[in-house]
Amino acid sequence: MTVRMGFVIITSRCIDCDACMVACRAENEVPIGFTRNWVTDSGAVGKFPIVKQMFEPGNCMHCEKPSCLSVCPTGATYKRADGIVLVDDTKCIGCKYCIEACPYDARFLNPVTGKADKCTFCLQRLEQGLKPACVQTCLGKARHSGDLNDPESVVSKLLNRYPARQLSPDAGTRPNIYYIDVPVAEIPSGT
Amino acid sequence: MPKIYTWDQLFSRRQFIKGGVAAAALGAAAGSGLLHPKPGLGDARSTVASTLSGTKYVYTICEQCVWRCGVIARVENGVVRKLEGNPDHPNNAGKLCPRGNAGIETLYSPSRVKFPLIRAGARGSGLWRRASWDEALTYTAEQMKKIKDKYGAKAMIFNSTDNLSQPFFETLLKAYGTPNYGTQRSLCFNSMTTGFLYTYGVAQPGTDYANCNYMIFSGRNLAEGISNIETQEMIDMVARGAKVVVLDPRFTKTAAKAEWLPIRPGTDLAFFLALINVLVNEKLYDAKFVSQYTQGFDELTKEVATYTPQWAEVQTEIPAGTIRRIAREFAASAPAAIAHPNWRTSNFLNSFQAERAIAVLNALAGNWAKPGGLIPDQSINTAKLGTLPHPSYPAAVGMRLDGVPWQFPMVPLAYGVLQVMRDNILTGKPYQAKGWLISRQNPVLSIPERQKTINAIMKLDFIGVIDIMANDTAYYADVILPESSYLERYDGLVPIGDEIFIRQPVIKPLYDTKSSLMIYKELAVKLGLGDFLPYQDEKDLLVQELKPYTVSLEELERKGHYRVPNFKEDHSKDFAFQTSSGKIEIASGIMAQMGKKAVPTWEAPPKPGPDEFYLLTGKTAQHSQMFTQDNRWLLEIFPENKAWLHTTVAKKLGVKTDDMVIIESEVGKIRIKVYVTEGIRPDSVFMVGGFGHVSKGLHFAYGRGASDSALHKSLADPISGSSALSQTFVRVSKA
Repeated sequence: MTVRMGFVIITSRCIDCDACMVACRAENEVPIGFTRNWVTDSGAVGKFPIVKQMFEPGNCMHCEKPSCLSVCPTGATYKRADGIVLVDDTKCIGCKYCIEACPYDARFLNPVTGKADKCTFCLQRLEQGLKPACVQTCLGKARHSGDLNDPESVVSKLLNRYPARQLSPDAGTRPNIYYIDVPVAEIPSGT
Repeated sequence: MPKIYTWDQLFSRRQFIKGGVAAAALGAAAGSGLLHPKPGLGDARSTVASTLSGTKYVYTICEQCVWRCGVIARVENGVVRKLEGNPDHPNNAGKLCPRGNAGIETLYSPSRVKFPLIRAGARGSGLWRRASWDEALTYTAEQMKKIKDKYGAKAMIFNSTDNLSQPFFETLLKAYGTPNYGTQRSLCFNSMTTGFLYTYGVAQPGTDYANCNYMIFSGRNLAEGISNIETQEMIDMVARGAKVVVLDPRFTKTAAKAEWLPIRPGTDLAFFLALINVLVNEKLYDAKFVSQYTQGFDELTKEVATYTPQWAEVQTEIPAGTIRRIAREFAASAPAAIAHPNWRTSNFLNSFQAERAIAVLNALAGNWAKPGGLIPDQSINTAKLGTLPHPSYPAAVGMRLDGVPWQFPMVPLAYGVLQVMRDNILTGKPYQAKGWLISRQNPVLSIPERQKTINAIMKLDFIGVIDIMANDTAYYADVILPESSYLERYDGLVPIGDEIFIRQPVIKPLYDTKSSLMIYKELAVKLGLGDFLPYQDEKDLLVQELKPYTVSLEELERKGHYRVPNFKEDHSKDFAFQTSSGKIEIASGIMAQMGKKAVPTWEAPPKPGPDEFYLLTGKTAQHSQMFTQDNRWLLEIFPENKAWLHTTVAKKLGVKTDDMVIIESEVGKIRIKVYVTEGIRPDSVFMVGGFGHVSKGLHFAYGRGASDSALHKSLADPISGSSALSQTFVRVSKA
């Protein structure tokens, strides 16, 4: 079966410490003022004292039907056979169409390179057999990554056991980040 | 005439960009395309110190807070590119928090002090000249000798905070002979440590999160005050469905994972007394444990008779039914149930009593040394390092300026009362302090009533600061002795259980800086006290510390840690309580001796007046106390502190999020942005501490947010010496 790289994020295990954001900045030399990943904080929802709060980490969803790809006039944005969506800097002209097209606001124009920039799944780490920086450092074991088509992967096992959702499914991009909101007591072992 | 520098010149961004290091960093960044494949490294664990295409991995220990996590640093062609958690380190199990991940920015910060500086204008003028190490150390030693000769060693104050080389700073202070030593303890957890010390004879018992089924936090916010492995364990605990209760007037990120009880500030004591009341009245305590290991239960029974849940509801504003339910749930989970010892608790003068009540509640649960309960002191089960021989210390002559023990007879000598020490620089009583040597601490921002601290500094003949950055206290110093950052230096070794860990230089120092180990040593030599720190250099010291073991320093450097073979844990002393009775003292022998009520008792906290609010302070996961606010990577995720106001309060004031307000206490006034939320009691204002820096040497932190220490009143609990930071009341108005 083909490889389909994606993320599973367990929101119930996220404490919004943002270690993932700093790890990504270090690993990928993301310029100050921009970020390739994020954690959204709902703030206290409800009326005092009955309130709740949710934290939702995210980054490029490496969509099955990426809207950034279809609007790219030069073919700079491309999807690899393993599903990872990348930008070829040699082809990117910095027109920002893709930045506008992304329903998840996952892209920005890198002021140093002048090119569209976003999460690369830490490809340089994957090639060394390492997990992406955000996954590696996550204190709560909230972020997971792997091959969604491989039944032995952590992400597949998590999706088998727990209900999950995607963000903005209406956008029709078929994002490859799945969110689990229920408690996950133990992280299954896997690739 | 030497060149005089202003702060702006010393710490300009331009100067940094021009520097060779930055050029190397930028060059490296430009050269490494994301798709450029690198040699396969496999698991980072097994490839440490391997050198492949100029890349090496070095084990060390983090210092972005005081928790000491294991780090593996990736260094490419002399530039530190990535820090990752050491999976074999017990403090963090392979993970780094945001601060740990941002250590690279601390290393390469333009705000680093790059060479020794001697003041070249009035104190606080911001005029400096570059000095050689020899001149700066000679100058420091001369000032310290002059003070000792003229006024005695006692006129010199030493200050430091929790760090790996602190024991060697303490050796220097003892060799110098002053009784005056200040640490962060009284600003942090004195009430907890004394409360537990006087109950169990153990100042800081551990907590077995992994097996605990019921946890009550009342001043420990692990999601925002990150202690790496404990935070991980707390998250796991919540995930496996253990009950977590959080008492906090503010809806913290820990509370977001738990049952939140928005307790009235200062009344945690009433809550715990009522829990004890229920356990006693309903006979839900561990009677066998209580009779075997404790004393004073009968006295407790009498004392808590009136502390009913109904009574506590009036104090705490938590419904009596909720209090009773929690008491029953807690008892049902015992002994795998913990009322966490916390750190600052509610931060009121009655916090010592609150900690005593918490300590006693745990005893009633019988959770001592049981799975899921409190963990006895493990120092006996920690590998011992080799010690360095030194001459006997001179007697430290004179009363202590912090009032211990003459004003605070119950504060353990090692803890001290820092805020009182500062006050007595100003009063000149019982004698006038003349000098202050501060290593990696920032009293201007850490002690309540900032202006008083600045005034105290201005009164002194000499003030010297050892730090990596031009912090706010360094700004007012006469001399700054610049320390190498934690990624550039050795420190004393760290034993944890049967393992010994090393902090070692990941790269050579970028600037003309030294390790604190060598600064202390060389200063000692200039003071004629060199024999007290008998090492030639850092490696010589570490070799001496390793003497009891067969491992070489080189091997320790290569592997990052050493496991002592055949180390046997000794639990025979787990129930040998170091109290006057040898038992867990529900009724404290020391309290009785001092003529005070021996069992935990109610002390009503003061309430704010009309139009006043409680001022609450606390932590954020993205910063450490007052020393990371200059880190740009952390400012990206937490740029400034804001004053939390409840929606109804904001509406009344006519402000919305990000509008400015003025907050005034009895002692100070600040301007700060507002954060409007339903997650705080309407009678309280909250702000994260550590912002509002006054040093222009802190390039990116200067002018951001506001300092809680500008507002805090200086209060010291007469029993524990703990500062009562939340016992400051404020008025808020639209700016």
